[in-house]
Amino acid sequence: MGTENNTKKKSSFSLMFKRLFGINKKELDLFEEEQMQSPFRTVVGNFMANRLAMTAIIVFFVIFLFVLIGPKLMPIDLSYQEGTQKNIAPGSDMMKLPEAMKKNPASISNGASFGVGASADGKVHVWGKTRISKTINIKNVPSDMGKVIQVSAGYDHVVALNENGEVFGWGNGRLGQLDIPDDIGRHGKIVQIAAGYQITLAVAEDGYLYVWGNENVNDIRVKKRTQDKDIVKVAVSADTAVALTKNGEAKHLGAEQSAVSRVPEEAKSGVVDIAATAATAAVIKEDGSVVVWGNTTQGLSEVPKMEGKPISIVGGRYHYTVLTDAGKAYSWGSSRFKQTKVPAAAGSGVTAIYGSYYQNYAVKADKVVTWGLKGYFLGSDELGRDVLERIVNGGRMTMTVGAVAVIISTIIGIIIGGISGFFGGKVDLVLQRITEVFSAMPFLPFAMILSTIIGNQVPENMRIMIIMVILGVLSWPQLARLVRAQVLAEREKEFVTAARAMGVKQMNIVFKHIIPNVISVIIVTATLDFASCMLTEASLSFLGFGVQLPNPTWGNMLFGCVDSVVIQNYWWRWVFPAVLLSICVICINTVGDGLRDAIDPKSNEK
Amino acid sequence: MLRYVGKRIIYIIGVFFLISIIMFGIYNAIPGDRALTQVAPLKGKVSAEQFETAYQKARDDLGMDDPLPIRYGKWMGNLLTGDLGYSTFYRQDVIKVVKSPLLATLFINIFATILALAITIPLGIYCAVKKFSKFDNAVQVGTIVGYSVPSFVIALLSIYVFAVILGWFPVNGMNTPNFKGNGFEFFVDRMYYLTLPLFVMTIASLGGMTRYVRAAMIDALRMDYIRTARAKGLKEKVVIYSHAWRNALLPVITLIIGWFLSIFSGSIIIETMFALNGLGKLYYTGLMNQDYDVALAMQMFYVVISLVGNLIVD
Repeated sequence: MGTENNTKKKSSFSLMFKRLFGINKKELDLFEEEQMQSPFRTVVGNFMANRLAMTAIIVFFVIFLFVLIGPKLMPIDLSYQEGTQKNIAPGSDMMKLPEAMKKNPASISNGASFGVGASADGKVHVWGKTRISKTINIKNVPSDMGKVIQVSAGYDHVVALNENGEVFGWGNGRLGQLDIPDDIGRHGKIVQIAAGYQITLAVAEDGYLYVWGNENVNDIRVKKRTQDKDIVKVAVSADTAVALTKNGEAKHLGAEQSAVSRVPEEAKSGVVDIAATAATAAVIKEDGSVVVWGNTTQGLSEVPKMEGKPISIVGGRYHYTVLTDAGKAYSWGSSRFKQTKVPAAAGSGVTAIYGSYYQNYAVKADKVVTWGLKGYFLGSDELGRDVLERIVNGGRMTMTVGAVAVIISTIIGIIIGGISGFFGGKVDLVLQRITEVFSAMPFLPFAMILSTIIGNQVPENMRIMIIMVILGVLSWPQLARLVRAQVLAEREKEFVTAARAMGVKQMNIVFKHIIPNVISVIIVTATLDFASCMLTEASLSFLGFGVQLPNPTWGNMLFGCVDSVVIQNYWWRWVFPAVLLSICVICINTVGDGLRDAIDPKSNEK
Repeated sequence: MLRYVGKRIIYIIGVFFLISIIMFGIYNAIPGDRALTQVAPLKGKVSAEQFETAYQKARDDLGMDDPLPIRYGKWMGNLLTGDLGYSTFYRQDVIKVVKSPLLATLFINIFATILALAITIPLGIYCAVKKFSKFDNAVQVGTIVGYSVPSFVIALLSIYVFAVILGWFPVNGMNTPNFKGNGFEFFVDRMYYLTLPLFVMTIASLGGMTRYVRAAMIDALRMDYIRTARAKGLKEKVVIYSHAWRNALLPVITLIIGWFLSIFSGSIIIETMFALNGLGKLYYTGLMNQDYDVALAMQMFYVVISLVGNLIVD
């Protein structure tokens, strides 16, 4: 009876206590023990509870996967550059036709980064990246052109022809490509206009060829041919021009010897249509055969087997597209921007094809089918390279350099710190001096001079590896000091004494017994070091002393962007790599901080 | 204490010589014939024999045929007596070349430090006092961003916003070209040009310093004497500013010294970006133009700075 009362009392007492101090835990049975958690699980739990750090780690993994998988999808060709695709703004509207253009367009043409067309009612429409410079924009279409029946876009200018045979031009006219001759009506109506790179051509009814603009570029020097009065059609690309004469002969319009100037015998008679790419020309003959000549790389001579007889041909920069009398379109040549991947919709009922540079337009009764380059998601840079592609590949480079450097510095730091802390005495003294030497070396200047010395003596891959080693070898002292301090604190503990008593080798005591006990500090430091190594690599490359162009890294993509023109006009060239690099470093630092808090909750107070 | 300092100084001198040997070795490993560069302007003007003698004389003058240790000894001797060598790019003694950039860098760095301190100390104290408040959490996130974002990104962004879009400040440079005016006008003009770089340097250092000040202050606030002071019924302001802050000051001063010294090498990026005629720019152009005497002198300067910094911090 008495004992019963006693226990009751106790329990009510303890209840009171618990309520007093607000401990509201589930009461455990006498034999139940509070569940133990391994330190690792505690750390993980703490970390997971930190929302900021969790977000950071997720963002970081997204970026990490992006740069890990990205290069597989977008392998980089380091030697690639494309003069016509320079500094194009981000977007994918290069083939986004306005509504009015989708039904029976009268004419479509496209320049390097924009499209222009005349709709059925004779109105001119413009789409794509039309901004050429601060003052020149293709969008500023001249008014009062009447009913336009034909348009032609060159690299950065456009000419239009109306039903009365009048010619209009707009866009970049700095080299006279818009200075339409005064005598343009003298040879009868204009039947065809063609705009190229800094040059414009127009064919008159009687076969006279008008040429204005800069004839001194590339392979288009046509003045001496203009008097022949035998031309029916011209085809012009950014680098060359060919013409079709009245008696079905293909002619090269350039004055100089070039790949295209040697017109093959087959193309000297019976030609019905002509086209030109950057360094080749092609004709369709009456019998339906296609002849390609010139510098036929990138599969330009591999004419596919076609259903029906080809009736018209257009040339892009490195590809051709042909329309057959079966209403089917075929493309061949380079397919870097999928410009030869003809969609199924263009497999029948096509009435006309247009195309240039990297785009194709196939006109059908009710719509216009397009294929080719839609645009650059993140724009293109000063050499016409895709910024997205460079960011993806550059990210991989930046992260690889950072990771390898951190691994090197962590290994050195652990070894030096561990030995120095465990053995003490003279070993410690010497190692401490070495650490001092390395930490007294000013990081950035020293890395710069080392990078200068290896200079151009070694191949680029070797150079990148050396840069990783330099970064790693210069950044270990801090970790070594930390590890040393930790090891000093651990080495007098019982487990070390026990290990000693068992006769474990000294090196094994350091690296197999002590180091695993201080691993948490090492992980945190390594994480934060990873961020700082990435930053250093970026700074070095930014200054031009790290990874060299054309190998991209997030740092050297910004190299050459410190220029008010680039900063203002071509913002996409520096904003994206800069933002991505910053986000990445912020995430890693946040994760490092979160880890530190998770491992040592006391540090949270700081 | 004095013994400790003496011991440290001896160590540091040892470290200095060790580094100088490494540096000298590295600079000597750079390919290139300095004697040839020196006599290169003579080429074509004089006969081949005269050129050859001039070349040999230059080699002798530069002591290029001496063994490495002797060259090191000569160089070290010159260095200690203040002769830093000859700049092939500026065609002047290095010591003369260095003078005005040194002053510029000192000016920029001191100014940036003062600005940064003026912001970080109050901010750090406030965050420490209101720790874990919403404001503090926001500042904590802000500081992570602050010390993570590379300084060249901050520089690019601020050039874009303040120089290109708003047009408030010039994009780069130190003075209006061919500026004429009296001393004060000159100073105003210079400050106009330096505002943007100073802004960037200050912003770039806010993150790390605020965190440090906050941590030091939190440590100080946890001490028993703070509880005592509060228990005495002192005003919270007095507790914070005269009790806690005074004790937090020591680690903060250590930080300031270390940080001040570290921005010497850190200002390479800012000086290059803003075309400021400072030490970092000098080092950069020196390396770019194979003007190794300048680069070596700069490098030794950085080493001395960081060694002195380590000593003071210790």
